[in-house]
Amino acid sequence: MDQIGTRFYKLSFLLPGFLVLLAIILFPLLFTIRVSLSGWDAITPGLGWVGIKNYLNVFGDTRFWQSMLRLSGMAVGSVLIQYVLGFALALLVWRDIKYKRFFRVLFLIPMMTTPVIMTVIWRTILHESLGPANDLLGVVGLGPYQWLTSPAWSIAAIMMVEVWQWTPFMFLLLLAGLISLPREPFLAAAIDGAGPIRTFFNVTFPLLAPVSIGAIIIRLIEASKLIETVYVLTSGGPGTATETAGYYVYIKGLRDFDIGYAAALSITYLVIMMILLTLIAKLLVKFMLGDKPQ
Amino acid sequence: MNGLVSFLKYAAIAVWSLFVAAPLLWAVTTSFKTANGVTGGPTYIPWLQYEPSLQGWRTLFGGAGGIDIVGPYIDSIIVTLSATAISIVLGTLAAYGLSRYDYRMGFVKNSDIVFFFISQRIMPPIVLSIPFFLMLQFLGLLDSKLGLILVYVALLLPIAVWIMVDFFDGVPRQIDEMAMLDGLKPFEAFWKVVLPNSLPGILVAAMFCLIFGWNDFFFAFTLTFTDTQLLPVAVVALNSSVTPWWSLSASALVSVLPLIVIAFFVEKLLSRGTLAGAIR
Amino acid sequence: MSLVAQSLELTRGVPHLNALSATFERGKLTTVIGRTLAGKTTLMRVIAGLQNADSGTLTLDGKPFSTHAAWQRDVAMVYQQFINYPHLNVFENVAFPLRKKRVAGTDIKLQVRAMLEQLGLAAFAERRPSQLSGGQQQRVALARALVRKADILLLDEPVVNLDYKLREQLRDDFRSLLKTQRQGIIIYNTTEPSEAMMLGDQLVVVHEGRILQTGLPATVFEQPASALVAAIINDPPMNIIAGHLVGKHIVAGDGVRLPKPARFNGLADGAYRFGLRAHDLSLKNNGIPGKVTFSEVSGSETFIHAKTALGQTVTQVAGVHIAPLGSDVSLAVATESLFVFANDGDGRLLSAPNRGQR
Repeated sequence: MDQIGTRFYKLSFLLPGFLVLLAIILFPLLFTIRVSLSGWDAITPGLGWVGIKNYLNVFGDTRFWQSMLRLSGMAVGSVLIQYVLGFALALLVWRDIKYKRFFRVLFLIPMMTTPVIMTVIWRTILHESLGPANDLLGVVGLGPYQWLTSPAWSIAAIMMVEVWQWTPFMFLLLLAGLISLPREPFLAAAIDGAGPIRTFFNVTFPLLAPVSIGAIIIRLIEASKLIETVYVLTSGGPGTATETAGYYVYIKGLRDFDIGYAAALSITYLVIMMILLTLIAKLLVKFMLGDKPQ
Repeated sequence: MNGLVSFLKYAAIAVWSLFVAAPLLWAVTTSFKTANGVTGGPTYIPWLQYEPSLQGWRTLFGGAGGIDIVGPYIDSIIVTLSATAISIVLGTLAAYGLSRYDYRMGFVKNSDIVFFFISQRIMPPIVLSIPFFLMLQFLGLLDSKLGLILVYVALLLPIAVWIMVDFFDGVPRQIDEMAMLDGLKPFEAFWKVVLPNSLPGILVAAMFCLIFGWNDFFFAFTLTFTDTQLLPVAVVALNSSVTPWWSLSASALVSVLPLIVIAFFVEKLLSRGTLAGAIR
Repeated sequence: MSLVAQSLELTRGVPHLNALSATFERGKLTTVIGRTLAGKTTLMRVIAGLQNADSGTLTLDGKPFSTHAAWQRDVAMVYQQFINYPHLNVFENVAFPLRKKRVAGTDIKLQVRAMLEQLGLAAFAERRPSQLSGGQQQRVALARALVRKADILLLDEPVVNLDYKLREQLRDDFRSLLKTQRQGIIIYNTTEPSEAMMLGDQLVVVHEGRILQTGLPATVFEQPASALVAAIINDPPMNIIAGHLVGKHIVAGDGVRLPKPARFNGLADGAYRFGLRAHDLSLKNNGIPGKVTFSEVSGSETFIHAKTALGQTVTQVAGVHIAPLGSDVSLAVATESLFVFANDGDGRLLSAPNRGQR
């Protein structure tokens, strides 16, 4: 819509929001890049130029790369679980179910709650002697498990909390997608005599592929920032067993005040994340949309 | 066969419902315990297994082993509502522009500008927190509500733009064109004709802004200390080794309660199909 | 006193405008006819100021017009989709432009009521547009456009999305309603020849963003400037038959020899395109043979599409005529009614039948 006399209006609509965001985000980002090239730490604060020395150190920092790998594994793993569960739940309360609306509301609730606050509650639940998790599992003869003190169980605990918190988000997007689906393909499948399983794989799943891709990517973006749950639940421990990239940067920057180095870490973190997310997005689109029959 | 499938369906729903409700139910029962009820091992049912007490709820208003939650509550409300309001206003305007006008500048197209907005969500909070810290320090806004509002606008504005661009794309542009032919300048057309037909979209955007604003922890944690304290920070501060679980649970519950109401709205919009982007 | 478009060019987006010049006179209803995507809507949007032409100018009564913004132009438009303000009821929809013009409240009431009455909408004043049928919604849009008494009224295929019955009815309403707006400029887009002939005081034929012909509807009908115009303004489209003039004969299609009317004597031997309206072909025993490819009954007429030695033809026959697919037909050509077009791009008109002979 290119019109006479609209240039002023056109700019007045966009610019306030655009400039505010640019000011709040771009400045810090550029500043971080500059800081990453400085030797700023607790002893000598300031922008003293050190070139790419910090980045060279990042390259040899195995603790960072391990945390990056751990983060990727946890993010991809928990998002996949969220997707499968979210899809299953959306299918369950999509149609003829008693108290449909009650369950829909209930299933949405976790994403409305404050993640850190619920993580604090989870911490009491997973307490090894006083929490109900081991107590209830003991009733059926399982455990006790070292939820917060063994490396493997700590990772499982963090992923479980993430799944509890964010499966509702997948559920919400997929259910919204399901509700908006046209009726005709299902009628056609029914006329062809397709059973529920074939209908799912031939109709429902392909029709929801775009929504699925969107939902998975959004969740991957959010999951790759994983830090709060770690901070509250395990503080990265035991040892560094649950330390994610974000949490490591936090320790270096805001706890040790090794700001120049932390800035280099965060830029590396951001760049790797963007590359990985772009790759994953491309692959998802290829595999979920690319080999469509039409 | 059909009966079995149906049984499995309801069983799956029941299991998940239990999992969803468990932390909240645990928090409810714990909030009525005292030290005795906690340290003796896990208990669930009041009167039967432990003697309930209102101690945890009393500490919400100060007192030993708790936090005075009123101050953080008010701070949280002010910061979240202000940031949401600013984000919705700026985001709606920008989204309307992006939906209706062509902003071609060299190789930059509208879709690139939309991507610029949305891409801000990719930034991990830790990447931004160090420069935010220094920036707010420079502006003298560290540990202030205004500083946090500024930061939250950066977090929420992308959400508002994202949702509203999609929404405005679904509102026929002939409506605003007609308003302009009826003599309304673009701002008037936007205000009198487009906005009244976009309320569901604004509602959805506002809800998501509220959720992400109210639930943020990291920025509140790194950018405020004593003068300003938001709810999540206040509650997490109770998370020490000798945690008073009762006051922790009580404060956790009152903190998450207001947003749980949103779940009902979301479900309503969902069932009406508004969320699916299918407008009217 | 008129709206003049001069060399309007628009090359971004589809459809384009291609050095389009036209004059729309005050007090007259100009119908713009052209196929879908011919640029009719684009032209209206440029006139309304909703779209900017790359170059070219608009002048209104001799004064520059293209520099005005849409909201300064005093243009009313009715879209082919039924566009109303969804959040306002019918009364408020129609009152909307008057409120903007700060007309006094009592006057608004009177004018809107009168307009609703005239369009048979009085009973629906309190309803939302979404609660009305398509025809009623379009009447609301029309009422809102008319109540303003805008200087320029643009009607962009206003009845195309309505079913046949409603279309006839609304089209009849237009004739009487538009008379009340006769001091302004009215432009009416359509793809339908009958609509263009019936409503228009002036006819403009548009194709691929350029103007093919302008004139009185009857003149354009009798003397289409080219084979292309003839195809656009005839429904069913005029039969265009490739052929030659050889001595005293016309050799048409696959060698069908027809006597050459005296009217063609000035034309040199050579290749031409011959135009023939559907009703100038008729069924006749031992005529030009062909096979029926399709046949449709419309009202009291039958259109028989057939593949013949002349090429693909359509014949209009009075009355209901059963012509099964694949059956044989035999046709006669009223040679006096042949149009002759040059064998060039658009097919420039070289000879048209005399009036009354068709």
